[in-house]
Amino acid sequence: MRFGKHSVLASITAATVALAAPAHADVDTDFANQLHGYGIYGQRDFNAWLAKITCERLGNGLDTSAEKSAEFLSHNLPRGTGTAQTWQFLSAAIDTYCPEQMPMLTSVAEPNR
Amino acid sequence: MHRPRRARRARECPALRTGIAILTGTIAAAVFPATAAADATDDYPIPHRMIVTTCTAEQILAAARDFTPIYYERYVIDKHNKPPQVQQAAIDNAHYFYSLSPADRRAYSEQMVTNFADPMTASWPNWAKIFFNNKGVAAKETDNCANYPPDDQSVWDG
Repeated sequence: MRFGKHSVLASITAATVALAAPAHADVDTDFANQLHGYGIYGQRDFNAWLAKITCERLGNGLDTSAEKSAEFLSHNLPRGTGTAQTWQFLSAAIDTYCPEQMPMLTSVAEPNR
Repeated sequence: MHRPRRARRARECPALRTGIAILTGTIAAAVFPATAAADATDDYPIPHRMIVTTCTAEQILAAARDFTPIYYERYVIDKHNKPPQVQQAAIDNAHYFYSLSPADRRAYSEQMVTNFADPMTASWPNWAKIFFNNKGVAAKETDNCANYPPDDQSVWDG
């Protein structure tokens, strides 16, 4: 029954769209929510853009290590942001906007590997 | 009865009244100076720190890239939306400005507020935004610019 197969496919597609959409309404919002979990607030657009610039700098070689990225972020996150929060921001930024840079981050955690 | 007598004395003496009026006016002038001035001041249109800095345009842009990254990114995007000759003119203008002495930069800023026919401003009104527009940005740039190479041209392209 071709019609039956189609309707099953259609309902699966509809369900996928309906269920998946709320979780990925907006990448920047998800990122902001993740930051809130670390106690980092501030403007959503500012934080998202800062994260994207951090990725861009890792991508074009301006920052050659995760330490350099963390230093860059430490100058630009609000005063009072702790070292741990700075690294949490960096980790969330890489995870959200440039997962291909993840090795930069793991190489800090495991320097001898 | 001291008070009424003193009040009467002031009323009877026009010279004293005039004196008080003039004194009040002088104090007011000292407290609110130049609020309506139409010419350049120490921080306008070019922040004082940009007048006295010894950094080059490239050093200032490098500091902006690292310390006011979003402002810098906006500037670079804006620049890339201009025709190549306008971009080059902006670079040349910035080089010219930072080659001047503080006194000449001051004169330049006087000219800047009055010369609306400047072709650079006409073709790209925000060409110097990253350098002159914001005192907070200028402060971060001039605080850190000395740590960067003076002629790294790559900073113009983000």
